[in-house]
Amino acid sequence: MDENNSIVFKATNNGLILLMKEDEDFEKIYDQVEKKLASAGRFFKGASLVVKYRGKTLSPDEAERISQLMSDITEAEILAFDEDTNHDPNVLENSFDIEENDQPVSYIKEYYFKGIEEGVTKFYRGTVRSGQLLNFNGNVVILGDVNPGAEVQATGNIIVMGTLRGTVHAGMDGNREAIVAALNLQPVQLRIASIITRPPDDTGVKGPMVPEIAYVKDDMIYIERFLPQR
Amino acid sequence: MGEVIVITSGKGGVGKTTTTANVGTALALNNKKVVLVDADIGLRNLDLVMGLENRIVFDLVDVVEGRCKLRNALVKDKRYEGLFLLPAAQTRDKSSVKPEQMLKLCEELRKEFDYSIIDCPAGIEQGFNNAVVGADKAIVITTPEVSAVRDADRVIGLLESKELRDPRLLINRIKTDMVRRGEMMSIEDVKDILAVNLIGIVPDDEKIVVSTNRGEPAVTDQKSLAGQAYRNIAQRIDGEEVPLLNLEDDEGFMFRLKRFLGIKST
Repeated sequence: MDENNSIVFKATNNGLILLMKEDEDFEKIYDQVEKKLASAGRFFKGASLVVKYRGKTLSPDEAERISQLMSDITEAEILAFDEDTNHDPNVLENSFDIEENDQPVSYIKEYYFKGIEEGVTKFYRGTVRSGQLLNFNGNVVILGDVNPGAEVQATGNIIVMGTLRGTVHAGMDGNREAIVAALNLQPVQLRIASIITRPPDDTGVKGPMVPEIAYVKDDMIYIERFLPQR
Repeated sequence: MGEVIVITSGKGGVGKTTTTANVGTALALNNKKVVLVDADIGLRNLDLVMGLENRIVFDLVDVVEGRCKLRNALVKDKRYEGLFLLPAAQTRDKSSVKPEQMLKLCEELRKEFDYSIIDCPAGIEQGFNNAVVGADKAIVITTPEVSAVRDADRVIGLLESKELRDPRLLINRIKTDMVRRGEMMSIEDVKDILAVNLIGIVPDDEKIVVSTNRGEPAVTDQKSLAGQAYRNIAQRIDGEEVPLLNLEDDEGFMFRLKRFLGIKST
């Protein structure tokens, strides 16, 4: 790693992460932030950013200086500049290797599970009952029912080969392409990525028992049949 | 500064959750700012009785573990302004919360709300300790059965040892005709054994089952006798003097006449 490589900027869904080499001198980091932003920072002009930093622990004074520098150069509004406590070791370890030298700011989408087309899947056999929490980093297939009060969370798709009456959260770490499908879809609450829906309050009329699928379109969760209508 | 009231009983199934939902709703009907706290972690029910289950995103455990702000976890009631629910976690257990955390939570709720009503779990273990630790007042629920009265007695003793003096007693599910026939303990019998002040009596009412299943507290039903009893209790909590519901009054000719004419319910 050469001298100009002590910092990396990464873009996330809601802002930037500044990664710093842990043992690097603060003044050097400061210079490099200045250099990198000078070449690409105009991109952020007028934007509002939440910036987090990792790798090196900064004193309040140092954090303030970098925050000031960033708002000066980029002409963006820095809403917050804090240490990122949500630690994701994968990102940190690889971050310096994937950096390209000729591109000072690398825009890498925040990591989330992408194996919804084909990816690691958990098969659960039996009924998920009230108070049970099924959490899996990948897709989940349940060969049974999900009862009210039970929770199923997956970073990928959730398929229930039975009646879904509990709470489910697909695409938990942010994948909006994830789907929820069940032979009978009657959830208490259904979440995909950061979108939450619940059935309407007028009780009584429950739809016919047909396999249905829930997916996200335009920030809304849509539910429709997934078998051709007969 | 608001008041924190714990609703407890020792024995299960005597009506703690129903009472919490109804008294809380009745207080909100009197334009008070009320939060109902479900302390029954792992076996939550209050959200169901209030009909708010599908609105829960965060819960009490998320709050005490700092995953969300208290404000984010409060579920606003769908019918009444000023009524909120702090739901319990369903996928955790009682040991997820420590008494110190609960105490801190109660202090925060006290600043925001006129009344914080805590629905205590059955039993006298950690769940009970958590529910009781931040409370200023306690309402002990019993039914006119020896087992429930025995457990209530135990709980009153425990409350006193925790410096919660003068708990008020609520006798639930009284069946007037059975008492009259001498088949059920009367209010006086229960009071004699427990020797604490009554805050109210609630008659046995089939409508409670219906309202619980629907997720609509019975106090909203003006015709329900139990609903009236809960409204009276809310007024007493609020410091008003309301006479006890006189369940015996309808005895005699008028009662029989009314029953004969099919307008028994008052």
